[in-house]
Amino acid sequence: MTELSVRLAVSLAQIAAVMGVVMLTVMILTLAERKVLGWMQDRMGPMEVGPYGVLQPIADGLKLFFKEDIVPAGANKFMFTLAPILAMVPALIGFAVIPFGPGQTFEFFGISVKPFVISDINIGILYILAFTSIGAYGIILGGWASNSKYSLLGGLRSAAQVISYELNVGLAIVGVLILAGSLSLVKIAEAQSGGFWHWYVFAFPAPQIFAFVVYVISAVAETNRVPFDLPEAESELVAGFFTEYSGMRFAFFFIAEYANMVLVSCIAAVMFLGGWNAPYPGTILAQVGLPQVAWAENIAWFTVKTYAFLFLFFWLRATLPRLRYDQLMKFGWKVMLPIALANIVVTSIAVYFFRG
Amino acid sequence: MSTAPTQPGPKRHSRLVEWLKTIVFYEILVGMKATMSHLLRYRPITVQYPHEKRALPDNYRGMLALLRYDDGTEKCVGCDLCEAACPSRVIRVVSAEVPGEPTKRYSKEYYMDMTRCLFCGMCVEACPVDALGMTQEFEWAVYDKRQLYLNKQQLLAIGDRSFPVREKRLELQHRNVAFFNVSFSHVPQKPN
Ligand code: SF4
Ligand code: SF4
Repeated sequence: MTELSVRLAVSLAQIAAVMGVVMLTVMILTLAERKVLGWMQDRMGPMEVGPYGVLQPIADGLKLFFKEDIVPAGANKFMFTLAPILAMVPALIGFAVIPFGPGQTFEFFGISVKPFVISDINIGILYILAFTSIGAYGIILGGWASNSKYSLLGGLRSAAQVISYELNVGLAIVGVLILAGSLSLVKIAEAQSGGFWHWYVFAFPAPQIFAFVVYVISAVAETNRVPFDLPEAESELVAGFFTEYSGMRFAFFFIAEYANMVLVSCIAAVMFLGGWNAPYPGTILAQVGLPQVAWAENIAWFTVKTYAFLFLFFWLRATLPRLRYDQLMKFGWKVMLPIALANIVVTSIAVYFFRG
Repeated sequence: MSTAPTQPGPKRHSRLVEWLKTIVFYEILVGMKATMSHLLRYRPITVQYPHEKRALPDNYRGMLALLRYDDGTEKCVGCDLCEAACPSRVIRVVSAEVPGEPTKRYSKEYYMDMTRCLFCGMCVEACPVDALGMTQEFEWAVYDKRQLYLNKQQLLAIGDRSFPVREKRLELQHRNVAFFNVSFSHVPQKPN
């Protein structure tokens, strides 16, 4: 076997594993969201399929798969088909650079591979930001191609929302990049090892707590979640940009939204909450004499952080009403943007003085 | 413009406190605490409907039904008062003479278009002989709207299954009331 074919096989295996985990997470999320919302609102959530409704995602999937797939008469067929793909692919593609576990290398058939990150490129975060912006095209085109006024309004709102908040996401993580001195997510995560006081939310010269808050709010807006779910706004716009979509096309938008949630949660965990690092120095497994499987503990921590973040999404949704359109823009441009910019200035100054 | 509080109300804090509350999202945190407390003390108030059902109050206004006397005869005398009382024109009564008894009438045909009924109970109030009743039935979802256009037989069947205990005939309940064409054992017959 040549080295190239081994590398290809390993990469494909990694991609398959990550896709599998992401899809599984999306399935879990669709159920978990309804359950958590139900519990918070003194309801039960799905209860019919399987014990306590745990098989509901499978039932939903089957239903969507066998539903009639309708293209509205006046729709632009090509764009109508392209939009869900354009929404979903960028959401999934971002996972290629997320480090799910330590960046250590393993020997495999004579070549060294990093098993817990598909591709450790040195512009990782830039790559993700670039691709997630493309996801907005899916939504806007979906709204436009449906030839429905409601969908178009949903798409337009999404466009406005994306330019207001994409910017803040980018600016919020600049502070972290200054501290880490790298754009590679693996390096950023490694730089935060050694206890929770090294995480960039709390890190010494310039704690990124404000940037974290800005990032969280912008991430919620980026993924079109309550209270920023204006592109959907099912109480105002029927169902927003995907009003005209049915069957698997609708499912694509749906999966894209949830995959985006997982993605921004992963980025939040990596950039601000130490990634796969435990909140204490080192790992317990290494201390009890099992350093070979210490990565399992790291992956567990990464999972915990990501899911905690996802829970926050549900929690916010159960609590907050939707923002008005002008409030949303005002908040993004007049509050979040100055905070993010000020954070960059303060971080730069702090790093300059304390690190020399 | 002075910012002094003029009317009584919730205590006004200093502007610093207000400002601090704004920047730490105080109101949102309060709301999130509330939702979290519901999650931690989870007591669902919903009913798993098809599997468990609520006990309905006795005065529940469900599906309408026509009733019978305990000897099986229909109560309705075809007086049309229900039709007149109904605000949404649900009811249509076609009344006719009871054959052989020229002073007695009954409803030959009786239709109710339940798609329009608003379950106000006016028809039940209006009926002079209590021939109409409201049952506790509410599971009347159908696939075809026409199935909700009920005829007399259907309405009587609903009444039969919902009111197993039936009243005696009116003339046997109220012995002093004069009824035509009814032979009263305790009233002397008119001489011819
Ligand atoms: S309940 Fe009201 S609306 Fe319905 S039939 Fe009787 S009077 Fe008409
Ligand atoms: S149901 Fe009652 S009110 Fe209606 S026609 Fe019969 S007797 Fe009269």
